[in-house]
Amino acid sequence: MRDARYAYAGTSRQVLAGVDLDVDAGRVVAVVGPNEAGKSTLCLVAAGLAPIAIGGRLEGSVLLAGDETAGLAAYQAAQRCGILFQNPATQLSGTTSTVWEEIAFGPRNLGLDIGAIVERVEGAMATLDIAGLADRDPQRLSGGQAQLVALASVLALRPSLLVLDEPTSQLDPAGTRLVGDALSRFAAENGTAVLLVEHKTGLVARIAGEVAVLVGGRIVERGPTAEILADPALAEHGVDPPPAVRIERAVAAAGRSGDLVGLDLAALEMEPITGSPLPTGAPLPTGTPA
Amino acid sequence: MIDAHRPGVVPDFVLRPPTGSYHALNPSTKLVLAFAEAAVAFGVRGWTGPLVVIAIVVATAMTARVGRSLVPFALAVIPLVASILLVNTFLFPGATDVIARIGPLAPTWTGLEAALQATLRVAAFALSVAVFALTTPTDDLLADMERRGLGRRGVFVIGAAIGMIPRMVERASEITDSQRARGLDTEGSRWRRIRGVVPLAAPMIIGALSEVEERTMALEARAFSAPGRRTILRPLPDSTGQRTARWAAGVGAIVLVAASIAGILPVP
Amino acid sequence: MNGQFSTRVITLMPVAIAINIVLGVTVQQVLKLPIYLDSIGTILVGVLAGPLAGALTGILSNLIWQYAPGIGGGTIGPFAVTAGVIGLLAGLWGQLGVYRSRPASGTSLWLPTVIAVAIILFLASRIYGNPAYNDPAYFVSWYSTAIVLVAVVVSVAVVAWVVVKRDAAGAWVALAGAVTGIVAAIVSAPISAYVFGGVTGGGTDVIVAALRQGGSDVLNASLGQGFFSDPIDKVITSFVVFIIIASVSPRLLARFPNGERLTASAA
Repeated sequence: MRDARYAYAGTSRQVLAGVDLDVDAGRVVAVVGPNEAGKSTLCLVAAGLAPIAIGGRLEGSVLLAGDETAGLAAYQAAQRCGILFQNPATQLSGTTSTVWEEIAFGPRNLGLDIGAIVERVEGAMATLDIAGLADRDPQRLSGGQAQLVALASVLALRPSLLVLDEPTSQLDPAGTRLVGDALSRFAAENGTAVLLVEHKTGLVARIAGEVAVLVGGRIVERGPTAEILADPALAEHGVDPPPAVRIERAVAAAGRSGDLVGLDLAALEMEPITGSPLPTGAPLPTGTPA
Repeated sequence: MIDAHRPGVVPDFVLRPPTGSYHALNPSTKLVLAFAEAAVAFGVRGWTGPLVVIAIVVATAMTARVGRSLVPFALAVIPLVASILLVNTFLFPGATDVIARIGPLAPTWTGLEAALQATLRVAAFALSVAVFALTTPTDDLLADMERRGLGRRGVFVIGAAIGMIPRMVERASEITDSQRARGLDTEGSRWRRIRGVVPLAAPMIIGALSEVEERTMALEARAFSAPGRRTILRPLPDSTGQRTARWAAGVGAIVLVAASIAGILPVP
Repeated sequence: MNGQFSTRVITLMPVAIAINIVLGVTVQQVLKLPIYLDSIGTILVGVLAGPLAGALTGILSNLIWQYAPGIGGGTIGPFAVTAGVIGLLAGLWGQLGVYRSRPASGTSLWLPTVIAVAIILFLASRIYGNPAYNDPAYFVSWYSTAIVLVAVVVSVAVVAWVVVKRDAAGAWVALAGAVTGIVAAIVSAPISAYVFGGVTGGGTDVIVAALRQGGSDVLNASLGQGFFSDPIDKVITSFVVFIIIASVSPRLLARFPNGERLTASAA
């Protein structure tokens, strides 16, 4: 993105006021910021959905695999950039009775032949390690499982860029852990460029190599993850630092930094609180959150 | 877990080939048959039409081994049938051949005849719908219609609507429960129930509509608006015999109904 | 894909169909009221996306309700024709801008209200005067009284709305609802009379019975029941749709085919 500015249809205020952002293959860039900073808008613009699917005015340049999004059709943008939203329930098509068919939804839409479809479905399931869910009913999965199925159905289009808009914010702790683990494996092994927008800086700390801070529609800070997240100025921008950083600060403030020597705090925060095995998941909640 | 999963091929739990002679018929055949039965049941006036349809329906139900499952469908029409019998027997306009006078009530033979014929029509229709619903999974029907040119948008609308109904019913009962916890009376007098509808309907509708934007974007993100035809995962078998049967049923139904309306059909 | 059947409309339709069916089943089987409330989705789609989309929503709602496994049954299928007509009309009203909020005061507030009430009372008087419901040899015309009562109640509701909300659109919405209801009754009556012998198994059969008791023939009894239930039902539905649309942000409305005609135009 170069100097991207965007206003929604029917409004005059530019939600994005000049954003420069690059995500290279194999890298994970996270974007944090206070509410109303334009993080979700950034996701839509990056994926091309804005303005292609929702209208609005885009100025500046947004390139997906070398092509301006403004000149693409929605299905072309979808093959270059995948996007995952917060609510798993609304991303499942609701028309399939097995996870396999749900993941095949995208490739079928493109009219690919059966062999290619089978290949892509199996590839997507293998990447996220959900082959065991293949014959399950998508509407009877736990939140975390459903979110992984939604991600798989997007990955089945083989995009070179992936945008994640707060993928764990509507999941319970078990689901958050499930999706977080899958994402960190994906980021480590895959060559896809990933743009992650998150509130939970813990996840950011785990998988992102670089963090940008978005405030008021502009990127105000940018740098390697550890640096940005440890920066005390982060709180002024309305972003909570991850638990590891908070623990360190609290301990330092108490003058007991020596107690932390040898502790791997990043691994610590991912430990289950109760130590019991992960539950298999309650059925997907049917109501929208209050 | 899947036991017989062979990589590289569409799995069986996706293909779901139907079993049984009637079940294995092409869904469009079963649909045309259901519509033809409905047309004859309603369009051919008199006793014969509905009775023939009922006979056909029961026969096909037996062949498909769903006879027993017809019972709930048959029972479901009882309120309607009761209404038809009562209103038409006792209140048929212009009828004078009274059966008996029971106080102020004067049931008539004409009314009873009309009532019984209407009952047969309703029964025939309900049973033909039942057989169709019991032998034709929606997925199969939609897959076949898509193959014949319905298009992905039509298939999506129908499929998603059917899939959404159970979820909405669950949501409705959730809303009712939470309203009840706040003290709203959902049983009791009619007036109370009317007042109970609004707090139920509003959150349900608003909740459903708020999802539309995200669902739209999720569809676009899966290339839903790509041009061309979608790949077909499950080709359902058809045959010349069935094609002929469909034409015969369709044309036959139209001819019978037209003849009945024109008054030239010589059956009771 | 743009035009009347854009992806957004395709997403909206199943939701609308499901709303129709779930509410319709609830009202018909659980509450057993003499109204239907099964067209909210149809009218919503018609207003947002145009006549064709609205008509299809209505038709599909009826067919799915009838034939889908697990839900199917009853007598709703053949009334798909009526549902289609309702959707068509809703599209028409939407394009005419009936559902656009019109904050007003003074004459521009009272004039539409007076016109709407006048038309409603006029229509009611036509039904009132129909000899099929008035034969003095059979009964005091309780039905005609009921119709007048309905018309008066609707008119009072319109006036109250317009006064409280200062929104002249209330008058037009009510009028659109009343007209849709009357047309729906006219289309449904032959279906009900000839296909089902005049009754449908719902709460409305009481009215049919009462009318026949008074001497109406099969068709007129069904018609009379329709004239009673349909306008009320459609006026309520139209107001519900209007409230829903008014509470959606213009930003989201603009994305629908009919969006511009639904937002109060900025100066």
